[in-house]
Amino acid sequence: MKPESSLARSRYLGRASKALAALSAVALVVMMSITFVGVVMRYAFNAPILGVNEIVQLMSVSMVMLALPYATQTDAHVRIDVLDGKIGRYGRLFGDILARLVGGYVLIVLVTRAWRRLADAFEYGDATNMLRLSLWPFYGLIVLGICLVILIFALQIIDLLRRGRSYDD
Amino acid sequence: MMTDTLVGILAIGAMFFFMILRTPVGLAMLIVGFFGTWILSGYRSAGALLISETYSATSNYALTVMPLFILMGNLSSAAGFSRRLYEAAFAWVGWLRGGLASASVIGCAAFAAVSGSSVATAVTIGRVALPEMKRFGYSDSLSTGAIAAGGTLGFLIPPSTGFVIYAILTEESIGRLFMAGILPGLLLTGLFLSTIAIIVTLKPGQGPKGSLPDSANRLTALLRAAPLLAVIVISIGGIYLGVFTPVEAAGVGAVLVAGMAFAGRLITLREFGETLMQTVRTAAMLYLIIIGANVLNPFLALTHIPSTLGESLMGAGLGPYGALALVVVAYLFLGMFMDGLAMLVVTVPIVFPLLTGMGFDPIWLGVIIVILIEMGMITPPVGLNVFVVKSVAADVPIMSIFKGVFPFWIAMLICLILLVAFPSIVLLLPNSMFG
Amino acid sequence: EELKLADFLPATHPFQEKVWAVFANDVAERTNGEVTIRVYPGGELGPGPVEQYNRVVDGLAELAYALPGYTASNFPKLLLTELPGVITEETGTKAVLDNIDMLDEEFRRAQLIGYWSNGANLLFTAEKPVRSLEDIKGLKLRVPSRNAGLMVESWGATPVSMPVSEIYNSMQTGVIDGAMIDGTATFVFKLAEVTKYITTGMDSSISSFFLIMNKDAFADLTEEQQQAMLDAGRDLSFLANAQQLSDVEKGLEMFGNTEGKELIELSPEAVAEFNAASAPVLDAAIADAESQGIDARGFIDALAASK
Ligand code: NA
Ligand code: NA
Repeated sequence: MKPESSLARSRYLGRASKALAALSAVALVVMMSITFVGVVMRYAFNAPILGVNEIVQLMSVSMVMLALPYATQTDAHVRIDVLDGKIGRYGRLFGDILARLVGGYVLIVLVTRAWRRLADAFEYGDATNMLRLSLWPFYGLIVLGICLVILIFALQIIDLLRRGRSYDD
Repeated sequence: MMTDTLVGILAIGAMFFFMILRTPVGLAMLIVGFFGTWILSGYRSAGALLISETYSATSNYALTVMPLFILMGNLSSAAGFSRRLYEAAFAWVGWLRGGLASASVIGCAAFAAVSGSSVATAVTIGRVALPEMKRFGYSDSLSTGAIAAGGTLGFLIPPSTGFVIYAILTEESIGRLFMAGILPGLLLTGLFLSTIAIIVTLKPGQGPKGSLPDSANRLTALLRAAPLLAVIVISIGGIYLGVFTPVEAAGVGAVLVAGMAFAGRLITLREFGETLMQTVRTAAMLYLIIIGANVLNPFLALTHIPSTLGESLMGAGLGPYGALALVVVAYLFLGMFMDGLAMLVVTVPIVFPLLTGMGFDPIWLGVIIVILIEMGMITPPVGLNVFVVKSVAADVPIMSIFKGVFPFWIAMLICLILLVAFPSIVLLLPNSMFG
Repeated sequence: EELKLADFLPATHPFQEKVWAVFANDVAERTNGEVTIRVYPGGELGPGPVEQYNRVVDGLAELAYALPGYTASNFPKLLLTELPGVITEETGTKAVLDNIDMLDEEFRRAQLIGYWSNGANLLFTAEKPVRSLEDIKGLKLRVPSRNAGLMVESWGATPVSMPVSEIYNSMQTGVIDGAMIDGTATFVFKLAEVTKYITTGMDSSISSFFLIMNKDAFADLTEEQQQAMLDAGRDLSFLANAQQLSDVEKGLEMFGNTEGKELIELSPEAVAEFNAASAPVLDAAIADAESQGIDARGFIDALAASK
């Protein structure tokens, strides 16, 4: 594989997905710290932070969605590779394109539904129960993360068609 | 109803097709769950399923124990704490053939005593143990197999998410079920250790023997491992003593490891950042699988395949042990492609009245079903624990892991047979404690 | 037309036979079999109570059993009913249904089919008996909602929020000293195993349940079918409330009869202490709601009038 000829691994896309992953890492640190602080407050000051779990939950959504493009671009996803050798070069190419095409379509449906939730959540002021944190920005992160994954899929399809062979060949 | 079942069977076929054609497993489940629901229940329903499950899986509080424990493990590795722990383990049991694999299984069992989840157990121990076993020359299949199988102990040794859900479904006592899981958990741990012993006796190259260091060196190794041992004791002890919940234990553990790493200048800010990036990458990969499973499961409920299976079993007119055998086969089949907790929720309401009506003890049945679910977690093609191990052992082909877990799968089958033959292994503790 | 009813309760829960089955029959009868309902219990269509409201709004299932408390921001007015003393266990369901028109604003996203109030949240404690306001000071108690948290705080205890599924372990290990939850939790969540004392008698928060329907799916029905759903839903409301209260009674009776467990009925003096302490919470919540432009006082007065 030649990285310089690859759209999906281009420098700009790499920077974008890495920048989001860095924000994802921040969400993870917040998740860890707030859990720790919650325990300390409960014991040292007998003053539990009401709603720590809400912050943890929203950080969890952010962490996953912001890291998904990075995981996709760096090919972290688990595949069954048992029959890779048996399906041949064109089988591998066909499979790689099919997965991105069909998977990309399902993700487009997901994004449109996430967008609708975002709009609704904004209109109706959806918020968490204890802390009343607004939910719409987190639906926004789902839209953002999944859109970038779709873009990566699209560019990978173009790459695969131009190369005429799978990334592993 | 027949057509629903047919759609279900075709969809499962389609899922295998996508997986063979190299589709990431999470995405394949997502695709099949979406299109299957579209066919059975319409586009509105299918689209709603995608967003509902994406949000509910990623915002699930209990699941956050996973990224936090992964982080704790990754930080321990980056700072060199896990290496020290395994150097100590090796100093003490490394002179045995397969000693590190045995130490890992024991580590899984110990961790299982604080974690209700197989995934968390496999990730935490695997993250620490796999690189070290590789360093000491263990074969990939033995080391990954032992971790993937050992991780399932998290589900059997209390506390266990599996028992809690079973208890809620069947109105049985969680306390009794927890007590009932202890002896079978120890039995299974013993069987796993025997499996390792047999493997390394037959193929000594899989888990090479080290030399026995003198006692001064062994003590030094133990002292060097003390920091991480202390964190484990604090997290585990903290849960037992009621200082915090498992999620909190994971968070506190991660903060402690990070604090010790920075205080000892064992990690730079840059390395800390890289560890975080590595952690979120792994977490995103695991969550895609969980989202896929969460989208697939409602679809399987819509196909009525589990209930159809149950009804045909009822109609077959077999004796109790015949019915039990069929249930076992059905679970082994469903376990190939279904997520463990989902299997519990869908099948227990069918299987429980059927088998307890035939005279089987409800607590005993809970343990049997939990072991069957554990087996499903390491049965190809969809074996959550195998995927988890793959996530921390990226260079090992998934087939090697499935091959590696096979002997342990047999050990679980033997455990099942023993529990059927001697139900008192299950019932001794709960009956003596609760009368 | 077959409607899917998403239910997070286990397939073995008394509600399946005694409530959903009756409702499904009722709907089929009132529509001459044109509309049927299939229940997917045990969270088969998606686990847990938290996301059920969204599952119906999005349209995954046509119907779902849910708790408005999990999406509190959508139901600021309805949830005033969970404040201590606003409704009673026995009359709450009727009082709310009589004034349901006042809640139109809150049901723009989902069609309300049935509403019923739960048994009051009781004080479950693992080790420490609570017989007076003095006893509760400093206890860490799990609360189901923000309002319940304010109530517990007014009593001098410390509210802790956590998912219902974590209560059992947390009470057993001592992460929390107890929980505010309704009486069915003794057996539904097995809390009797980790609870030594249940304290009853003070004005407490009362949670709400509802059965809601996707707006588009409701619009797809004919006018007669819609009316049939609403009529069946009204009957369902009272049936479900009665079932819930009888389950509470069953749970508490079982608990009280168990060796080593005690059901504490507060003395009138102790009740007065508790209620005096929590009274300002109600006033503050009303003021807060009024400041957001919600006619809280009017709603609460209307509820009181229909008692
Ligand atoms: Na466990
Ligand atoms: Na499996």
